[in-house]
Amino acid sequence: MSVAGKFENQQVLVVGATGGLGHAIARYLKREGAGLVLSGRNEDKLNASAQELGAGWLSSDLSSSAGRAQLADAVGMLDGVVFAAGVAPVAPVRYLKDSDLDACLNVNTVAPLLLARDLLKKKKLKAGASMVWISSVASSQGAAGYAAYAASKAALEAAARCLALELAPKGIRVNCIAPGMIETDMADAAAERISGDALEAHLKAYPLGAGRPADVASAASFLLSAESRWITGAILPVDGGFSIN
Amino acid sequence: MSLEKFIENFEEAVEDIEPGSLTAETAYRELEAWDSLAVLTVIAMVDAEYNVRLKADALKSCETLEALFALVSSRSES
Repeated sequence: MSVAGKFENQQVLVVGATGGLGHAIARYLKREGAGLVLSGRNEDKLNASAQELGAGWLSSDLSSSAGRAQLADAVGMLDGVVFAAGVAPVAPVRYLKDSDLDACLNVNTVAPLLLARDLLKKKKLKAGASMVWISSVASSQGAAGYAAYAASKAALEAAARCLALELAPKGIRVNCIAPGMIETDMADAAAERISGDALEAHLKAYPLGAGRPADVASAASFLLSAESRWITGAILPVDGGFSIN
Repeated sequence: MSLEKFIENFEEAVEDIEPGSLTAETAYRELEAWDSLAVLTVIAMVDAEYNVRLKADALKSCETLEALFALVSSRSES
């Protein structure tokens, strides 16, 4: 359950705040008292979210170094960063397009890593800050058609473990959440290439049934908060038991 | 952009289809090899070869390969 004031006087940057997961996480953190800065590519949606949540916002393209630098310059000192932006091209490798693979690795892996670099260089992360990167069950479970996406998320997790070690002396923590299929924009987008029947069959592999964005948001809240102060470099599955087998 | 080439691409995309075994009249959704991976693969093939992004629903709306080709052609020109 959420606790008002859990993040009192804390500033959290939520990247990918216009996506289904990012928006749910921002809402959840707001309820728990966090001050928010929202980042995303869709300016109209971002503005609407920021109005709703009384948050600061900056629309920037984090796949470009200029966009990342702009965001890192604009934010104040941060207690937390959530990276929830992502793209999921679905294609068997023999029909994988160069541009889709590039975009996938760039948005899912390169952007969070280089944004972290820019925030660190500009000393925008407080001692004791927490970073949470949204990964996926795909990082550890093979699925036909998901080579690009799975590779981008596995690389993200590997980078998180290394960064966690680098930042431990400063008390800054880095963790990933590996959600299963959640009813959000990205799941919808993936579903465009997957028949409804196949999606239904896939959901049967979740012992606790389908997940909701709030299920991931509460996990993000935990990993951002001092409640998880002794957890770093971890990959937390939030998948209704999908990865048990 | 020809129907013949499209059928050839389709045969190549879907596993276990003999080259030259399909025609314009083939009801592709009734093929034994037509499963969820075939759906995903044909969508990806159409994207890669014709730069047209189809949805899974679109594949359900056509009966024959000729109809599917017509759909892809119409999207490709627009």
